[in-house]
Amino acid sequence: MGEKIGIYICECGPNIANKVYIDKIIEKISSIEAYKNKELVIKNHKLLCSIDGKKFLEEEIKQNEFTHLVIAACSPKDHESTFINICKKTHLNPYLFRIVNIREQCAWIISDRDEATEKAIQYIRGSINRVSYQSPLEEKKLDSNPDVLVIGGGIAGIETALSLASKKRKVYLIEKTSKLGGKSAKFRKLLPRQNCNTDVIQKKLLDVEENNHIQIFKETELEKAIGFFGNFEVILKNVKDNNLKTELRVGAIIVASGFKQLNTSELPKYEYTQDDDVYTSLEIEEMCSQNGKVLLKSGEEPRSIALIHCVGREEKGYCSQICCNYMLKIAQYLEQQSSDIKIKEFYRDLCLPNKDDQFFLENLQNSAIDFIRIKDIEIKGNKIKYIGTDDTKKEIEVDMLILAPAMEAEDGATELAELLNIQLDETGFFQEAHQKLNPIATSTDGIFIVGAARGPSGISESILQAQAVGGEILTQLIPGEKIVPEVKVSEVLEALCKGCQTCLNVCTYGAIYFDEDRGISVVNEAICRGCGNCMGSCPSGAIRSKHFTNPQLYQEMVEALR
Amino acid sequence: MSKSNSVLVIGAGITGMKASLMLSNAGKKVYLIEKLPLIGGNIIKNEECFPNLECSTCMVAPIQQDILQNQNVEVMTLSTVEKVEGEVGNFTVTINKKARYVSLIDCIGCGMCYDPCPVVLKNEWEENLAEKKAIYVPCPGSLPNVPTIDPESCLQLSGKQNCSACVEACDFGAIDFSEKDEKIKVYVGAIIVATGFDLFDATYLPNFGYGKYPGVYTAMEFERLFASNGPTSGELILRDGVKTPESIAIIHCVGRKDQGYCSAVCCMCSFKYAHFLNQKIPDAKVYNIYSDICVPDKSYQKFFENVKRESTELVFQPSTDKIKVTKNGSGLDIKYLNGKGMEETISANMVILSLAMIPGKETSHLSKVLGINKDTKGFFLTQNRNIGSVETTKSGIFVAGCAEGPKDVQNSIIQAEASVSKVINCLE
Amino acid sequence: MGEVKINNFKPKIVGYLCNWCTYAAADLAGASRLDIKPSINVIRVMCSSRIDQNLILTTFFGGADGILIAGCHPGDCHYDKGNYYARRRYALLKKVLETLKLDPERLQLSWISAAEGKRYATVVNEFTERIRKLGPNPINNNSYF
Repeated sequence: MGEKIGIYICECGPNIANKVYIDKIIEKISSIEAYKNKELVIKNHKLLCSIDGKKFLEEEIKQNEFTHLVIAACSPKDHESTFINICKKTHLNPYLFRIVNIREQCAWIISDRDEATEKAIQYIRGSINRVSYQSPLEEKKLDSNPDVLVIGGGIAGIETALSLASKKRKVYLIEKTSKLGGKSAKFRKLLPRQNCNTDVIQKKLLDVEENNHIQIFKETELEKAIGFFGNFEVILKNVKDNNLKTELRVGAIIVASGFKQLNTSELPKYEYTQDDDVYTSLEIEEMCSQNGKVLLKSGEEPRSIALIHCVGREEKGYCSQICCNYMLKIAQYLEQQSSDIKIKEFYRDLCLPNKDDQFFLENLQNSAIDFIRIKDIEIKGNKIKYIGTDDTKKEIEVDMLILAPAMEAEDGATELAELLNIQLDETGFFQEAHQKLNPIATSTDGIFIVGAARGPSGISESILQAQAVGGEILTQLIPGEKIVPEVKVSEVLEALCKGCQTCLNVCTYGAIYFDEDRGISVVNEAICRGCGNCMGSCPSGAIRSKHFTNPQLYQEMVEALR
Repeated sequence: MSKSNSVLVIGAGITGMKASLMLSNAGKKVYLIEKLPLIGGNIIKNEECFPNLECSTCMVAPIQQDILQNQNVEVMTLSTVEKVEGEVGNFTVTINKKARYVSLIDCIGCGMCYDPCPVVLKNEWEENLAEKKAIYVPCPGSLPNVPTIDPESCLQLSGKQNCSACVEACDFGAIDFSEKDEKIKVYVGAIIVATGFDLFDATYLPNFGYGKYPGVYTAMEFERLFASNGPTSGELILRDGVKTPESIAIIHCVGRKDQGYCSAVCCMCSFKYAHFLNQKIPDAKVYNIYSDICVPDKSYQKFFENVKRESTELVFQPSTDKIKVTKNGSGLDIKYLNGKGMEETISANMVILSLAMIPGKETSHLSKVLGINKDTKGFFLTQNRNIGSVETTKSGIFVAGCAEGPKDVQNSIIQAEASVSKVINCLE
Repeated sequence: MGEVKINNFKPKIVGYLCNWCTYAAADLAGASRLDIKPSINVIRVMCSSRIDQNLILTTFFGGADGILIAGCHPGDCHYDKGNYYARRRYALLKKVLETLKLDPERLQLSWISAAEGKRYATVVNEFTERIRKLGPNPINNNSYF
């Protein structure tokens, strides 16, 4: 069967009709010698996107049984999808259709009507040429596994597991230590509302342990993961017995590997030994939840305590977001413990970005707590030297120091990132797919990041992020439903590929792998997003970006240069 | 009774749009209602977003288009919620849909109706820095790209005069003066409230001189003044016609004390403005007058450090409420108390006020209609027994984004995602 | 004769525009009814990183007087980093053009965001003017071979 191309020019009311000579376009295109071997039907319509226009188009396609369709109208951003729907309805493969933008990029910007007509002809000819070179691409549907693997049994991992586990979806929760709960289990009270730990965290821990759809692997780490969204194969290993392995198939992986506090011994301005009464905030939380109070190593109650914010912030280059807030909470513990304790908070800027925080601060400011804004600080044992905002140097001595060290990525983050083919950002935390629009996804589809592994976050932020992952997976990985990947993907032409692997390095999504046996690169169509960067990078022209191939663009270009 | 498979999303900002697209992906029917004639929310007023300085339009326009083309999402602009009855799984919602007077189906967005319209109005979407006609789109590139008529100012609709200039200019018969406001009933299983925020009213604090001195701008006014699709195409022309200000003072935390909370994003916005100004007017002197620097994301401090090094002088003062902006010849003086409690003065010809984010105007009314509680600050309250929650005080109704409290884009998106998770679980 | 030729010279410019930013800017320029020289012929690609060197050279050898590659601003790429790759390939191509004795000025890379309709118009019109001054692609008038 020969080609039969339908060409429809939308007048867009006067918008196109009054800016170009539509009859001239039709006349010109009908008379082109090069098209004599094709059957062309060329017509105009007042407004193709109107109800009438759509009906007209539908009938025309059905009646004429076109092999290809070209519509010269507005920008594809406006109505490409409208016409694609008509193609689908009339069983014309939408990849054999092309919309030509003769409104925004022709009629509306070229004031001379003859020139605009010429330009419109040029654009339409380019598209008539191009559609002949287009291939009828088909959507693929892939089976997917709804189960998920959650890495890390802290609050973020627990909440993720709870928001996803159901009759139709199993959750595998792995934790490298022997206990679930992570650091949050050590807290006495939880911000921002001072909830008691047992009410929230301990309850969630129980829920996880009792949930039949959650399988917990303690003392377990990820050893290997391959595959793509909907179809990952993972191998887990026991941290004590590396030969004890478990193989699983899951549809998505959630990294909730948490954080650690900066080791203060790395900081030259913080000099102290194990014998000094200097503690990190986490140590104090633990002390409080175990003993109910803060005591000196001697067992006595401290009379003066300094709380020091922003320890290591300058060195790390970011604010840890939650320290100001929890330091206020610790001050409150101390205040409630005894009114005899003199509390001094040393801070540079108070960062309290939640709506409830300031109320908390104002309450404390009315108490006996001394808030001291500093420019610089140094400690040696329990002695403090600092420079205030008035530039004067001062020295004091206290019974106890409590530090708020910066949060940083957990030790295993680098290895985990490598195993999962995801990125760490310059702060060492896992990097988001898009900081704003896709903040809990990674550049690899189907792998998500939550909680403090993603960046400094407190318990409530981690819980929210875990629920957010729930939202992404519940709407993308639906039990029993297939996954439809991008159609306009890249493909490697085996005969031309010489195996240099340049394309592997440029692909943001890790969609290309190297087939050792055949010595060529292969595109995983389930991952590829179709940007075409690999094609731009290929030195031997072995990659074809479907629907944007060189022969296709060449056809447009030839007309541009006629 | 079986649960409805539909969801109502109130507010078509970035949060509401994200939630709608996700729900649609899961096969839910979504009613997305928006009180303004356009979708996109506050984010599209920004030229670029901090800290990566992505162009907002590039970021958000594909999402807006997805929303408008999505078969599962029914967008209702110029619409508000009037009544909600029922409970989780089965809410009956009455929507008050104002007449647009221009058909969303017939209009193709050519814009030929604006010029003939004889009525000139202030464009509040452009922070009153530009004008519009009685038939208008709020800004170039508005989506849906279909104008609306302001019935109070339109000569025909207000009954002042028999005018049909726009009707005559329209080749598509898209304008219909007889269109009436409608009450539409929808049945939904769950509701997501994503009504966003407003900015603190700067005229409430006369010491900052807003409204009195033309050189004093609110943050949002500056965003529009700077935007390449804004009233001046991005040229920094001040209200009094002075081009390119030589010195600019950006004052942080305006309204914070009155509101009783930190708005979390204003420091970064203020530093972004300093960066913008430095890019456009490299010789200008830019001051950031602050009391506490709040840059709470792993990526924010680096941006702040760069701006501090290249684009601005930081001026610390501990008591924002003591700042006074006064006139000095053709310029402005900003008087403040420094860290030692002594008064100092900065002179500038432009002042930008970084205003607190406050609950949207409709929050109080909406909380009554929905039967959900507000917190002491006026934002929607989430359940006390859970921390990190998007559940309101009524089962089946969730809140996301700045309607819950001030936050940046990513944290709004996270709440959108979280609320979707809750909706799907509650409709199981 | 040379003078006359230049005055009547209407440059043929191919614009390879990224779908997400610059193509949208071109649409905005249209919707704002800006005057843009008909010299440019827009070809839409998904990302500026898609533009391979062969395509550019083929376009020049096909007779283009100028080529504009335009995409999202650095940091704004819809595909994360595509525009950075485009920039590197562009820098390399400029060198290749020199060796081919084609004025590298005939190839331009611009970052134009979706909100910058006006800038799109300016960039295209200025580039057209520059190409007009440079005259026709030497490949076209046989002086090249």
